[in-house]
Amino acid sequence: MVIYSFYIFDRHTECIYSKTWLPPPSAATTSQHDIPTNNSTSGAGSANSTDPHHNPMRSARSAVSAANKASDDAKLIFGTVFSLRNMVRKLGGEDDAFISYRTAQYKLHYYETASNLRFVMLTDTGTLSMRNVMHQIYINLWCEYVVKNPLSPVEHKGGAGVRNELFELGLNQFITGLIAR
Amino acid sequence: MTVFSLVIINKAGGLIYNRTFHEGGLNKLSTNDYLVLAGTFHGVHAITARLNPVKSAPERPLSNTPGVPGGILTRPEPPSGLEVLESENFRLQCFNTLTGVKFLLFTDTTQTNVDVIIRRIYELYSDYVMKNPFYQLEMPIRCDMFDRKLLSHIREINNR
Amino acid sequence: MSNAGGSGGGSGRAGESRLRYPSNGKTIYHRPLNRTKTAELSKAAFAYLFAEMVSYAQRRVTGIQELEKRLNLQGHPIGLKLLDLLLFREPPRSQLRPLNIIALLHFIKINVWTHLFGRQADRLEKSSNPETPDEFMIIDNEPLVNAYISVPKEMSQLNCAAFAAGIIEGVCDGAGFPARVTAHTVGDTSGSNGSGGTGGAADGEMWPGRTVFLVKFQPEVLEREALIGAKS
Repeated sequence: MVIYSFYIFDRHTECIYSKTWLPPPSAATTSQHDIPTNNSTSGAGSANSTDPHHNPMRSARSAVSAANKASDDAKLIFGTVFSLRNMVRKLGGEDDAFISYRTAQYKLHYYETASNLRFVMLTDTGTLSMRNVMHQIYINLWCEYVVKNPLSPVEHKGGAGVRNELFELGLNQFITGLIAR
Repeated sequence: MTVFSLVIINKAGGLIYNRTFHEGGLNKLSTNDYLVLAGTFHGVHAITARLNPVKSAPERPLSNTPGVPGGILTRPEPPSGLEVLESENFRLQCFNTLTGVKFLLFTDTTQTNVDVIIRRIYELYSDYVMKNPFYQLEMPIRCDMFDRKLLSHIREINNR
Repeated sequence: MSNAGGSGGGSGRAGESRLRYPSNGKTIYHRPLNRTKTAELSKAAFAYLFAEMVSYAQRRVTGIQELEKRLNLQGHPIGLKLLDLLLFREPPRSQLRPLNIIALLHFIKINVWTHLFGRQADRLEKSSNPETPDEFMIIDNEPLVNAYISVPKEMSQLNCAAFAAGIIEGVCDGAGFPARVTAHTVGDTSGSNGSGGTGGAADGEMWPGRTVFLVKFQPEVLEREALIGAKS
């Protein structure tokens, strides 16, 4: 079982928490840039001096773009699950609930709480239903460490109050436990 | 095991066919709603293909080194869009042909062998729709022969 | 072949210069182009071709009658040419062209149909109406040319088997039996044109694409037929 990423959306459709367990995509892009630069250093000496200036800029830019991409992804994911959820309700009746969808590359699981909190998890295609897992996260982690935390605000604007130590630690432990199993 | 309905969407996202085989499986929608649904699904399908978290890493080195002896320049498979959607009351399988036509088959959650059913429907489509001189490409499908063959095929499955 | 005369293998080459005629009488003209055991042509290829033929005929026509006329005209020369080929392929002693109407219709029902569609036509009928003794019917339960065709509702009069009707007309004309042949769908209507045939409504339901080829001979054909009948 492979888990790629996990998102929480609040009732204002804002992404208040996201975490990926992927190798950072920037690593792949920088390694791609490395190949031509290595070649150029061996070929011409002048290229040597420009390289150190360029690399940090590139990595900084790629970090920014990665962050942008992550927030774009979160928005796209919310749009998708929102449309699909409405479609499912329209076709299957008001009591129907969207559970998951699968493409050839990945599978997306969806869980919605009574308080309109939405959990989304992306896994590999072979994974069975993750509804229970997300329910557990809601009960044992969200309720315990975010809702019952007196320092956490009622509305989690910009993710305020969610990124606390206990929740992150618990989530990481829970997920690594699942993957290892 | 029941097949509820079939929807066919053309490559521009327009609804070209829509038929219900089993009453009561899904809510009845107006034609307009179905048109909206087809358009929405078309868009969502494109987004789900983009959301692919696996960035085909293994293919990279191959395509970066075209001079590899004996190596064939491979282009990684483009990410596919949504294939199966599950909800509490139904299951939706989407088959996207190489020409961009989408076949959406709504079944109950226990239906098996949906791939086979949908392949057969594609075959019927290419026989009785594409070989019909009176069918105009990308337009709504109105072919008696297709209707008839499709109904008897699905009836066989639903009565099994 | 003139330069081949002086070489060592002269006798062999000399044989080549004449038209080769095998001892069993089977020349290249007896054989279909496709010589495999199951000599088949692609049905799909035909379906696509025919679909284009129909669309082509549909251009610049004003009505269904005209469209059927065009399809008929496309088939007519095929029938004319096919008659020669099929008669030539008959065993030498029966290599006669049909001399009366019944023989001609049987020839169409069996030989022409088998050659074109791989099976015989389903039924042959004579009009039971005394006012039209010149009308005969060849019935096909599901014509191959219509296999994938759904005619839209607003053109329900149309039957694309008009093309096959054209072929029959060509065969009749070539054999010296000038006639008008038209194709009619009798799928859902009960009976077949009041012909007194055995086909009822139940049959019509089973074969929704059933087509009747109505062969209407010219009056002189019947006149001649009557004369032959009186003599024998």
